[in-house]
Amino acid sequence: MLDALSRKFPVSVVTGFLGSGKTTLINKLLKRPDMNRVAVIVNEFGEQAIDNDLVEVSSEQMMLLNNGCLCCVLRGDLQETLRDLFVKRRNGDIIDFTRVIIETTGLADPAPVMQTLMTDDMLAEHYRLDCVVTLADAVNGLEQLGTMQEPVKQAALADRIVITKSDLAGEEATAKLEEKLRALNPQAPIKRAVNGEIDLAFLIDVGLRDMKGKLEDIQRWIGEPDEHGDHHRHDEKVKSFCLRFAEPMTWQAFSQTMEVLSALRGSDMLRVKGLVNVAGHPGPMVVQGVQHLFHPPVELAAWPSDDRSTRIVFITRDIPRDTVANLFTAIGAVTATA
Amino acid sequence: MKPTLSPQGQAAQTISRNMKLISHNELAGFGGIGEGINMQVTKDGRRILWLAHESAPKNFTAVDVSDVKNPKVICQTDLPHERVRSNSLDVVGDIMVVAYQTKKVGDKPAGMDIFDISTPEKPKLISHFDASGPHSRGAHCVWFVDGEYVHLTSGSGDFEPTHENDFQFYRIIDVRNPSKPVEVGRWHYPGTHKGDKEAPPPRHPRFDGGYRPHNVNVFPERPDRAYVAYLDGGAVILDISDKSNPKMITNWRYSPPYNGFCHTVMPLLGRDLLLVTDECTKDDGIDWPKLGWVVNASVETNLVPMSTLPMPPAENFIKRGGRFGAHNIHENLPGPASYRSNTLVVGTFFNGGVRAFDTSNPYQPQEIAYYVPGAPKLSPKGSIQLNDVWVDENGLVYTVDRFAGGLYIIEMSA
Repeated sequence: MLDALSRKFPVSVVTGFLGSGKTTLINKLLKRPDMNRVAVIVNEFGEQAIDNDLVEVSSEQMMLLNNGCLCCVLRGDLQETLRDLFVKRRNGDIIDFTRVIIETTGLADPAPVMQTLMTDDMLAEHYRLDCVVTLADAVNGLEQLGTMQEPVKQAALADRIVITKSDLAGEEATAKLEEKLRALNPQAPIKRAVNGEIDLAFLIDVGLRDMKGKLEDIQRWIGEPDEHGDHHRHDEKVKSFCLRFAEPMTWQAFSQTMEVLSALRGSDMLRVKGLVNVAGHPGPMVVQGVQHLFHPPVELAAWPSDDRSTRIVFITRDIPRDTVANLFTAIGAVTATA
Repeated sequence: MKPTLSPQGQAAQTISRNMKLISHNELAGFGGIGEGINMQVTKDGRRILWLAHESAPKNFTAVDVSDVKNPKVICQTDLPHERVRSNSLDVVGDIMVVAYQTKKVGDKPAGMDIFDISTPEKPKLISHFDASGPHSRGAHCVWFVDGEYVHLTSGSGDFEPTHENDFQFYRIIDVRNPSKPVEVGRWHYPGTHKGDKEAPPPRHPRFDGGYRPHNVNVFPERPDRAYVAYLDGGAVILDISDKSNPKMITNWRYSPPYNGFCHTVMPLLGRDLLLVTDECTKDDGIDWPKLGWVVNASVETNLVPMSTLPMPPAENFIKRGGRFGAHNIHENLPGPASYRSNTLVVGTFFNGGVRAFDTSNPYQPQEIAYYVPGAPKLSPKGSIQLNDVWVDENGLVYTVDRFAGGLYIIEMSA
């Protein structure tokens, strides 16, 4: 009776380069009237964490904002904080939040945050990853991408990328950054924000919200078509490509392929998401993984359109498309790649 | 009021998980409903929810829920006086039976009415089954699912209890001719009737709720069994293959140490399990814990509890006011507009709201959804007191407040 997806609280992970304006963006979001039942997890209650004019009441670890949202400081680990939020909500100790936003530090690798939602049984039961939003600062972003590991990974793992401070950086620098980001992660739509102003619809309800499997929802989740082609980016270490297979495969063959990839190159399999046509199942299987870890698959009620081909987006570090495609063939998951 | 992290204050705050309110109806200002809910599908295809009121002045209310977003009260009837309540009803086809319980012994009307509800706006009384008597307060609960027999919790003119709290017992009423209902069998807890050879059963040391049947479950799939919740007597299974002579097969008594008032014994058909609920009858947590129990019934003569339905911390909800704890569950009644499941259990917990549980693993039932409405306007307890629940064949949840809130229609995980 319960929809395996819609029953979970959506979690947005806001990540971004140092000084890219994550706090500004979150503050703007929290001032919107339609974002009034959000629990925000921040790293600390610093002076700039949350605008003072928003705070209604606070304790050592939590603040109630005057629009009804809850802001909560990360204590111990994220796992503990998310569990605590769920239990406090059920007990009626805190607001009846409907969404969680996690702000990571500028130097954070978002992969462990995403993996937390997959590996903890209790969290996987009650939360789902909705969206990874990565902020890139147009003034310093290009340099950061060239000199540091974390920003590259943040951009590669993103579902949505927001370029900030484009008004300060100017058009030329912004366009260069955008080009670089698009090369790193062609599936993630990119938008520019000025002073944290961005269309909310761009950032929320990106993940699959229910098992109905509507075409627009699936397209929104998987991302933009790879129209730029991956063959232009031989120089990039981070690669992104979408594999399509017309014929159904067995679940065993699919999972074996993924196991082999994870065992050999798990740390370089930055992100995998897509739909798999599993033989004998009426609906597509939704799969998603971050490095070594995969979320338990969810079967949608039906295919969204006549196109029943398996489509999986891979974001990898130094694993070319052909390697992955050939592995599917070698294991016998498919007879030929499309 | 000092602001808290729970902004609207505890009892005022609606809290929910995987349940969404579709509509709410205060039932024309008479929003106090007892424990009789049943849904009729009329010959012209309308879906009518029948509700028995918790207390006078109203008797029962019919709500057209064909459009669940816009429920409409189409009939609301009055009781003859303030000293009687209806509390319980059931519907089969176009026949409805309604219980009547008086505040004091000897008063009338006490017993059961049978109505023709083929035109739900104008229920027509077919007959009255009189259960009044010098030691009777009439009927508390009806179970009517086969169109033939009403399983009634009632006193009668010829029953004198050994203790004043034991004024009702189990009666089987043949209503195949609805204009002439007749009793065909009865059973009472040994020692509760004057003249019994058995000694009267011991009273509960703290809360003497009495030895009376509350809900009786008899399913067409198992017509030879009556599952009876006997308040402080616990759970009873009767062999009713001979209706004129019900025989006790087993009795699971768990109070004390628990606090009595066993309310419902529902078999999870096909799984050799029972779902047993208590009723919380005291405000402010005085009689906590009041639980839902999953019971192993694979050996009928040796019922063994396996787990209880997980509840949120009592101390938090007790503070909200009124009662907190188990009460009615959707009883998987047969019928065209009733949800039937032997794994999903939906129950009401007074200020704990309505809660749904997955009992697929009977050792570890999981709470999968809940809806706790904020305190209704004019609530005498200052909190919601959800009293009873019906789940229709599409999984929509209809739940009612005991005092003021009326009807809440809820969708699970939309």
